[in-house]
Amino acid sequence: MTDSVTTRPRHAARTGPAPRRPGTPAERSWWNRHQRTLAPYVFISPFYLLYGLFLLVPVFVGLYLSCTQWAGLGAPRWVGLRNYRDLLTDHSFWTSVQNTTLYVVFTLCVVVPAALLIAQALNARGLRGRDLFRLTYFMPVVISPIVITLVFGLIFDRQFGLFNATLHALFGFGGVDWLGEPAWARVSVVILVLWRWTGYLTIFFLAGLQNVPRELYEAAALDGAGPVRRFWDVTLPALRPVTAFVAVTVLVNTAQIFDEPFLLTQGGPGESTLSVTMFIFRAGFQRQQLGYAAAAGVLLFVAVFVLGQLAMRVLGVGRSSR
Amino acid sequence: MTSEVGRRSVLRAGAGAGLALLAAPALAGCGSGSARAVTEGPVQISMWTHDPGYIKTFQSAVRGKALTKGSQFDYRMRFTTAAGTDIVTRMMAQAVADGDTPDLVGMIIDQFPRVMGARIAQNLFVDLSETVRPFDGRLLKLAPYSVDRIPYGLDSDNSVSVLYYRQDVFDRYRIPEDVDTWQELARIGERLHEQHRISLGMVATGDNGSIVNAFLQFLLQRGGGAFDASGGLTLDSPEAVEVLEFMARGVRTGFLMALPDPYGSACAAALKSGRLAATVMPNWYNVYGLQANVPEQKEKWRIRTLPRFSGGGHEASTLGGTAFCVLKDKPNTQAALELLRRVYLTREGQLLRYRSGGFLPTLKPLYEDAELRGITDDYLGGQRVFDVYGRAVADLPIFYQAPGMQILIDVLGGPVLSALQGKTSAAEAIKSGIRAYRQQVKR
Repeated sequence: MTDSVTTRPRHAARTGPAPRRPGTPAERSWWNRHQRTLAPYVFISPFYLLYGLFLLVPVFVGLYLSCTQWAGLGAPRWVGLRNYRDLLTDHSFWTSVQNTTLYVVFTLCVVVPAALLIAQALNARGLRGRDLFRLTYFMPVVISPIVITLVFGLIFDRQFGLFNATLHALFGFGGVDWLGEPAWARVSVVILVLWRWTGYLTIFFLAGLQNVPRELYEAAALDGAGPVRRFWDVTLPALRPVTAFVAVTVLVNTAQIFDEPFLLTQGGPGESTLSVTMFIFRAGFQRQQLGYAAAAGVLLFVAVFVLGQLAMRVLGVGRSSR
Repeated sequence: MTSEVGRRSVLRAGAGAGLALLAAPALAGCGSGSARAVTEGPVQISMWTHDPGYIKTFQSAVRGKALTKGSQFDYRMRFTTAAGTDIVTRMMAQAVADGDTPDLVGMIIDQFPRVMGARIAQNLFVDLSETVRPFDGRLLKLAPYSVDRIPYGLDSDNSVSVLYYRQDVFDRYRIPEDVDTWQELARIGERLHEQHRISLGMVATGDNGSIVNAFLQFLLQRGGGAFDASGGLTLDSPEAVEVLEFMARGVRTGFLMALPDPYGSACAAALKSGRLAATVMPNWYNVYGLQANVPEQKEKWRIRTLPRFSGGGHEASTLGGTAFCVLKDKPNTQAALELLRRVYLTREGQLLRYRSGGFLPTLKPLYEDAELRGITDDYLGGQRVFDVYGRAVADLPIFYQAPGMQILIDVLGGPVLSALQGKTSAAEAIKSGIRAYRQQVKR
């Protein structure tokens, strides 16, 4: 073994031989005396500095701000838990919570299953133009928000919109005020969410589907399982880790939805499509109520964290499959 | 003596160093700037704006030298362009962090209320009272940018609302171009819509800002308003109810077209299709609305002063604007203030602004200026536009803002829309908006 040749005794490694030491220990520089102890900390310090500066500090500053009244300039005034108390009685805040809940439920119940079904269709053997379909489904994610605003503003317009024109041509009616009627405005936002994110989620499911062994399908077919049975008994169980990951990601992301209602309706008409993040943006950057916005942010964080943890436990994300 | 350094002490030292690192910029921000004030010679003015039109204006002012002739400063400009909301946010962040704020900042009118509370305007901007004193009564549009009656910004444009109308459509359907009152035009508009599906105006039904702006534009003309000079809410008025009733009836009968906003794709479609043949909008809508969306309708559009409300009010209204403010206590403050004065408070500066961006003068006497009166607009069929603007400026309402303006817009949008859709009465909508405003503004 080479250990006996190359490894120094333990005490030697700790203290280290000093071939040339000027003077007595008291005369040595502070760094010389402590470098062995400090060196590991110096090496890992960049991570901790960045971690502290960009993660811990904002979190604690946010917590502190949530207990203050601050317009953005001058010294914040400590108000304790007043912002939280006001939030709980703020009708606008609860409207935004309800709207966000609707978006989350819709995304989980409609967008995720739709993405799975599209992925299943794209994974079919012998499908022609598969790449074209993939490109088409993925495109909404990369299209500029400005274009989305213009195009969907026109699609949903009551008088000049494509939707109403189509409805009128097909069914003889088409006077739906998609963006002006509160209930329809919410529907318009979820349609935009469906259009924008289904293709993106399809990519995840498609990757998962391509890893399901063909033998499992062949075995199920030999046992007499039809396409529906194979989907339920082979595809879904095999996709469970992917589905769990997608569901948790979608839950956390949709709880912080901002783009779609902001682009399409700016939270209107009234506050009928306002989401919690838009509420925070409005309080912070339109009304200069930064303490109030921080308090809403803290509540959103707590809600997302708790829901995310619950979903991860229920769906078993991160647990090794047995 | 052993000097063993433990893990805990190292972490403590690290935490201390980290805090010191974090505190450094904050402390630096608290200290007064060490740079000396520039009182003459070369100076580079840092300007933030959202609109390339202002960049063009200031570039022309500095390069042309005619405007800066005789100044003790030799100006250079450095421009930063950002979205209107971001400009205010970043300026305040800079003010808190290290003081690297602009020397001149352009603030859209709806962003100014953000600095009206918590003494932000007083702490950031130069008090322009002395600068505007020589123009007593002759300088328009100071009110929206005043806090406690002290002006902190000079508007770039008078934003005078006029009636844009398609002269060819008016000719075709024999609509008189000089209809005296809104009520009369509404009667004509109802018939026109019934027979030809053409509307003579629009209301916004999209976001709260557009909804409330369209309402306020009519309300100001009628003699009402959102706030008074001291920031008190004045919305609870018979004029507000009357105007909202007028708008709701207009939507119901088709005289007014309901569109999400006056600038988007739906409005462009309405203009292109010819179904929108008239609209009340400010002077800047000529370039940003009509010429941008329907260049092919050149020479078909004209402007006139607004029909009056039979119950009273003004001959004109106003909507929008962007003020420029000078940041105080900076090395370039004096130079920036001098530049702003030359570009915004001189005849030559105001003419330059009109030529470079179509911004209407804010100095009232200039509406009688022969050079301006002679200007014709090609898009408007060679019309002498200052004949119209001159009459409008003679009877222009004053628009006041308050720190709670954004809250009012947020809470009033929904009720106004409900009234426009006929779901609630105008009186109930106004009441509901005021109630919600009073609840929210307490915070």
